[in-house]
Amino acid sequence: MHVTDGILPIAVCAGGYAISGLASWYSLKKINEKKEPKKGIPKASLGTAAFLAASLIYIPVPPTSVHLLLIGLMGILLEYYAFPAILISLLFQAIMFQHGGLTTLGVNAVIMGLPAMLCHYIYKHTKRFTKNSNFMNGIIGFSIGAIGVIISVLLFYIVITSFIPAHLDVETEKKAVYTLTIAYIPLAFIEGIFTSLLLIYLKKVKPEMLEGY
Amino acid sequence: MNIYTGKFAGLDTTIHRWEPRAKFIGLMILIFSFSFINSLMLLPVMILISTLIFIASKLPFSFLLRRLSIPSFFVIAMGIFLIFFSKGTIMFKLGPLALKREGITAMILITVRFFCILTIIVTLFETTPFLTIIKVMNSLGIPSILTDMIMFTYRYIFLVIENLLNMQMAMRLRGFRNRNLKDIVCLSSLVGSLFIRSYEQSERIYYAMVLRGYEQSENIKEEYQFKKIDIVFTIAVVMIAVGMVSIQIYFNLGRV
Repeated sequence: MHVTDGILPIAVCAGGYAISGLASWYSLKKINEKKEPKKGIPKASLGTAAFLAASLIYIPVPPTSVHLLLIGLMGILLEYYAFPAILISLLFQAIMFQHGGLTTLGVNAVIMGLPAMLCHYIYKHTKRFTKNSNFMNGIIGFSIGAIGVIISVLLFYIVITSFIPAHLDVETEKKAVYTLTIAYIPLAFIEGIFTSLLLIYLKKVKPEMLEGY
Repeated sequence: MNIYTGKFAGLDTTIHRWEPRAKFIGLMILIFSFSFINSLMLLPVMILISTLIFIASKLPFSFLLRRLSIPSFFVIAMGIFLIFFSKGTIMFKLGPLALKREGITAMILITVRFFCILTIIVTLFETTPFLTIIKVMNSLGIPSILTDMIMFTYRYIFLVIENLLNMQMAMRLRGFRNRNLKDIVCLSSLVGSLFIRSYEQSERIYYAMVLRGYEQSENIKEEYQFKKIDIVFTIAVVMIAVGMVSIQIYFNLGRV
């Protein structure tokens, strides 16, 4: 779900960088308000590396397989570091794997980073309901995991269908968006289940990880 | 795995010797000017410049092809979609599908822009050590929290991937076969363990770094020396970028 180089007009790329700049500024401002802002850096970096590695894991959905986005989980675990972490992940993916691109880095960061920030806020305001309850952890984890994917997918298709250079046939465009959005519903469902399972696992094994950086 | 290795950063060519800050700024301006181009007439210029820069870097062509192979698939798929599902003049019909002139123009533009931009990106990052790029970003005003995170992520990503591969191998040796959707339970525990290991490791790393004075450390700035040739090279690249954009605007080209 990365927009590659060369597809979007430069004004959109610049807009993506502007919004990413604002989101990064806000995240860094919140990080700097912490008592020891640098304390979270190694954790957030290792978290970023772990997210990059986890995106290499494929979930079998016969007859095919899907890889996870883990946007919701990034919001839960990395808090205000989530947006910078996604920006850095995308930079590495653009340089190392040629997924996405440098001109579209800002746009991709908006598509994936803003939902992660939203997921962080959802978790922040709902985590008090999760105490010692696997069921509630599961419900909240599922919702956050699914919301992260759904909002990302919506942003992705808004960007793609609004800004690609040739004016696509309106009917075909609607059909394509509709089909592709429906194709992502199973992924949102799987991501929701995965996030809920992970949240329950972390709550059981290492609850301090969920207390914030 | 087909990933960035930086193994060609040690070569000695004009592109390698180009002062890193000037190279970073010059090539980034060039990349963005490429994404501005909408005119078919300017595409040969883009191809020529990308080819010259790539040849000057002496990177192997097979290496570039390997790096382009996976993303090319998506761009070509998108190009094919554009040819058939654009609005515009029908050139000829293939059964129920009609080839549109505007779609073909858009496909050529997207594909060429993509290949040119990616060639420059590969050249930039393969001819400059990664740590130098981080220092350049820092010296250009990117906050140290971000550059520190980039540096640590780069340092640990290979370690984390190795951890993951070891854990996956251990699971396979114990009979795990990733074949059904129900295996998601084991996979979530695998990812959870990966995060916990990384979290615990990061705590140890942080305290080791504090003992070595990390909290006091400021930006990772480094002094670079500009030579005459760097300035000439950078101005030339920026002039080409500005020239292409100006020609497109002045002659009102690029109406797709």
